[in-house]
Amino acid sequence: MGEKIISKINLEDEQDIYVKRGMVRAEFDFWVGIVMDKFYEGLQNKQFIGTKCSKCGKVFLPPRNRCADCFAKAEEFVELPQTGVVKNFTVSNYNVTERRVRKAKEPNMVGLIQIDGADTAMVVPIINTNPDDLKEGMKVKVVWAKNIKGHPNDIAGFEPVGGG
Amino acid sequence: MEKVGIVGYYQLKPELDIMMSPYEAIFTAVRGALDSAGLKRKDITTVVTCTNDYYDGKTISNCFKVEAGGAYMKDETKVELDGAHAAAYGLYRILSGNHKLAMIYGFSTPSCYFYEPVRILELDPTFDRTMSVINPYTTGGMQMRAYMKAFGVNEEDIAKVAVQNYKNCSKNSLALPEAKKPDISVQDVLDSEILSSPLRRLMYPIPCDGATAMILAPERQSLKITDNPVWITGMGQCQETYYLGDRDLSISVSMEKAAEKAYKRAGINDPKSEIDVAEIFGHTSCEELILAEAAHLSEKGKGAILLDSGPALNPSGGAMSAFTPCASGLTRLVEAAKQLRGEADGYQISGAKKAIASGQVGFCAQNNIVFVLEGGG
Amino acid sequence: MAHKVQPAIISCGFCEHASKRSDVNMAELVNEAVEDCIKKANIDWKDIDAVINGNMPAFEGANMPELWMGDHMAAKNKPMLRVTTGGTTGGSVTIAGYYSVASGLYDMVLAIGFEQQSCGDTTVGLASVGLGEFTIFSDLGYTIERMRSNMGGGAAIGIASYQAMNYMRRSRATEEDLARVVVQNRRNAAKNWWTHLKMPSITIEDVLDTPYISYPLRFGMVCPASDGACAMLITTEEKAKQIADIPVYINGVASYSNESAILGIDCAGAGQVDPCEQLGAMKSAEVAYGQAGISFPNKEIDYAEVYSPFPNQELMWVERVGLFEENKAPEAYQNGVTALNGELPVNCSGGVNSTNAIGASAMERPAEAALQIMGKAGNQVPKTVHTALGHGWGGSINLITHVVMSDEPQRKWR
Repeated sequence: MGEKIISKINLEDEQDIYVKRGMVRAEFDFWVGIVMDKFYEGLQNKQFIGTKCSKCGKVFLPPRNRCADCFAKAEEFVELPQTGVVKNFTVSNYNVTERRVRKAKEPNMVGLIQIDGADTAMVVPIINTNPDDLKEGMKVKVVWAKNIKGHPNDIAGFEPVGGG
Repeated sequence: MEKVGIVGYYQLKPELDIMMSPYEAIFTAVRGALDSAGLKRKDITTVVTCTNDYYDGKTISNCFKVEAGGAYMKDETKVELDGAHAAAYGLYRILSGNHKLAMIYGFSTPSCYFYEPVRILELDPTFDRTMSVINPYTTGGMQMRAYMKAFGVNEEDIAKVAVQNYKNCSKNSLALPEAKKPDISVQDVLDSEILSSPLRRLMYPIPCDGATAMILAPERQSLKITDNPVWITGMGQCQETYYLGDRDLSISVSMEKAAEKAYKRAGINDPKSEIDVAEIFGHTSCEELILAEAAHLSEKGKGAILLDSGPALNPSGGAMSAFTPCASGLTRLVEAAKQLRGEADGYQISGAKKAIASGQVGFCAQNNIVFVLEGGG
Repeated sequence: MAHKVQPAIISCGFCEHASKRSDVNMAELVNEAVEDCIKKANIDWKDIDAVINGNMPAFEGANMPELWMGDHMAAKNKPMLRVTTGGTTGGSVTIAGYYSVASGLYDMVLAIGFEQQSCGDTTVGLASVGLGEFTIFSDLGYTIERMRSNMGGGAAIGIASYQAMNYMRRSRATEEDLARVVVQNRRNAAKNWWTHLKMPSITIEDVLDTPYISYPLRFGMVCPASDGACAMLITTEEKAKQIADIPVYINGVASYSNESAILGIDCAGAGQVDPCEQLGAMKSAEVAYGQAGISFPNKEIDYAEVYSPFPNQELMWVERVGLFEENKAPEAYQNGVTALNGELPVNCSGGVNSTNAIGASAMERPAEAALQIMGKAGNQVPKTVHTALGHGWGGSINLITHVVMSDEPQRKWR
């Protein structure tokens, strides 16, 4: 959370970190939880681990431990392949982070990608291709980051199968 | 559903950077609403506020606004979604019979924070937030692509929606000055910068500072307060799933369910012919069409038809006219009420009898709320 | 106007509270309480018409988290409302549940309050309540030193120690009296399954042996920061009679706001000069009792859950909400009136002093009070409870929630 504190008054000798132009920052850490823990572990081994609903059999990736339609447990883990299909995509000219919006140097390709065997899609970057070559239904495969840390950022992105 | 009256309202003139303190802005809006109804602060029995801790940069954003909002020694609470949701909670309070006059206000100042970055904090922190590719631009782009593909709509049709909104803004004295573009053409919209393909800059409203207040009262009290109340006859609300991959972005399930519920409560069978004015809060021009279609104002994929015939779509300019987080939905309600009261100076739809107004939060309009309004007279 | 629809609580669910629920994420934490609640009510999740939730978003760094957590709240394609008012969030959510049912628009409403404070730093979150006012202070020419002393040791404890001093001056309560409240709470908490600080054999001396944080409040007197969630099902009288053995009818709700503390707006007013005066609480109590047809709260209320992160507040609240005469609470605690087997048991769940998952705390108060009426509480009082009170406090010591419930529906017309 960022908080902008603007003070136009200069306090004589006591001008310290408490009052100044700028941001007060609070850091947050999130517990990943029961099923995401396995997903993170899978990333470390360059695998996609999804979950399966115990009632309707839907496979979720990224995993969740409840199926919204059945409100049933989805804690059966399934390993999923590293290839998928682009369901939707967009090419963004902006980088939006939790801090600011910046014009991107290179356009960002973002895709809604459904991994083969999963029933849901995830929003991830698409890399190593030309924005004009993107199309729906395109087959893609995952590209792993150089340093694997067991974190979603291990997914560097997805590239078209066959190099694009 | 018993009908509830809208007896007063006030919109602060939106600005990109308003020269007012939060308290001053809220006070002006609340005071204005009371004056418009000829009431005093002592007449208020409950206050429902809509502000957001993250947007205000302050934990418990309502606790210092008690005095400014007229809530001192009043039953006060806060809804942290859209202003329209606060209106819904005010409606519950009135319908319960416990309260006789509900003050509702929504307020935010995007000049003090970065709107798009703060939206990122709505994402699932265990995956989507770390990937940081979902934001209002990319979701808007994907939604537009899904819509265009599903129904074979082209970019021009969506640009036309934006053009009409900008033209409507120029007639609305309370529209954001930057959005008043009487001479804009479809080509201007299509030539504007791409935010996230195919979404363009001019299809996306500018977040601006503002505050809106509205007063609700039960039927009997409304008739005593004003000769010309506007009645809320129906309300529906719905939140769909979060995951974009689970949703068909070309339609809006939540809006459809919310609108159907609202129509049922209001006894409306054929919205296309019965509704005269629709004030829809769409986050992009494309979303406006999707939501209007989901509200059964036109067939799916034929939303652009509303620009020429059928219910008047956003005569005030819609979200383009005043896109204030926490207040946009409430502003839509007020604009619809203005049409029904015949107070929409310069953009009045003649003979407007019934209207709908919508509010939303979430990416690709995840949580929607619809009100059906009827003119009193 | 007579009551059109009479809302009733049929079930309350909790998850286990701890300082770090690192085994689950926020959604799963909430899901535990929701499933517990639905299971105890023995209904189908599809019967739930609407969901209302709330937490203090600044503590977890997630804005409107119900958007992504909705599926874990049994809320897919259902109306969802978010109500947050700081410390009183849980109470405000309960009240919103009451109004949703009382409006006649929904029959079965699930109310959820939650907090996973281990995700962020609570004091940073709370400090921003005060930080927002820094501009005002500096405009007035306050020096940093003076600001620091005025703000005390941060948001909550700073104001609570002033409150404690004012209360002790008025009532001549001693530190021992404060410690006694803590001991009663922590011992009660040990018998309740979901609580956080369980200390079955704590003594007054143990509490008084801990160091001061801010005089007169010692380390051992201060509430913990917990992770936890609470859920509650509120429905109509007719449905409640079919589902629950003993439905708990909500007969009076109020949340009257006082002026914000310290300086008031733009330093224009005096704000609250005496933070233990609590006009808002007194007004809320009066209105809620009036709705419920209670004329003599000290005689008619059988059980009370008040929101007291700090022990002085428990003494203060039971007086302000009309359960004891002014300045008489310390004596009542000394005589065991408020103990489990006393005449008027207070906070037998362990209270906020033992478990404080902020967004859930103010909901756990009415929830535990309701469970005492149902006879299903974790630390059930031996006597039969007919009428109970759930109270909440928050904001800049100016927001209050007050929920009065009973095993009989409201008879009095309003």
